[in-house]
Amino acid sequence: MTTTRSHTLPQHETHTLLATDGAWRVVVLNDPVNLMSYVVLVFKKVFGFDEATARQHMLEVHEQGRSIVWSGLREKAEAYAFTLQQWHLTTVLETDEAH
Amino acid sequence: MKRIEVKLSLPVVAPLLDVIRELADGLRKNLAAPSTLTELDDDFRDAWVGELVSSQNDDVHTLLALFDGNFFSEGVVAFDEENAEPIMRACAAVRLRLRECYLKPLGDETLETGDLDLTSLAEPLRKAFMCYLFLATVQELIIQHLDESILGH
Repeated sequence: MTTTRSHTLPQHETHTLLATDGAWRVVVLNDPVNLMSYVVLVFKKVFGFDEATARQHMLEVHEQGRSIVWSGLREKAEAYAFTLQQWHLTTVLETDEAH
Repeated sequence: MKRIEVKLSLPVVAPLLDVIRELADGLRKNLAAPSTLTELDDDFRDAWVGELVSSQNDDVHTLLALFDGNFFSEGVVAFDEENAEPIMRACAAVRLRLRECYLKPLGDETLETGDLDLTSLAEPLRKAFMCYLFLATVQELIIQHLDESILGH
């Protein structure tokens, strides 16, 4: 019994955590200051994007005003948002519930 | 270590340093772009902003260190794998601050294209816009010559 209980509880807790905390989006917003080439470099540096993917996200930011550059668990989303803000890109975090 | 040296025109660049230093003062306690994260609780947000300001200060310090005695005697500044990344970020910070403090009247489209007749501007707007263009040129130089160093760092 003890073995079963200790085996079951953590699984249940993990599911709860993922359901409430799992869908955070890192969104970069357009600004008129940062160079396109700079934004591409930052995306490549921070996310490891290849040139084409980084460029696609940069163009989305430029033309549509925003681009979702990453989504996943909150803690990691916050870490990415912090790094992007260190590079002075305007970054917001969103949850699925916000849409 | 890859390193590039750039010879700058002293009479053109030296006067811009006053603007950069003035803005650097304003960046000591404030972020170049205000944090937009409203989801964080107050304590966490304060710590978050504090860390960003500290990192921003380190970057701006590295940018200002470019303009040392060697710059004023030879007009030369050097970029390498160590300083490329902080200088890129510091240039972005000062450019954002330039927009906030001086350049908003020019409009966002002008700031995006950089397309403007400098002679049509009065001081101090002219000097601020020259500074804005100069820092963009520094960023472009680094991207052109040291991007692999930054990506591999």
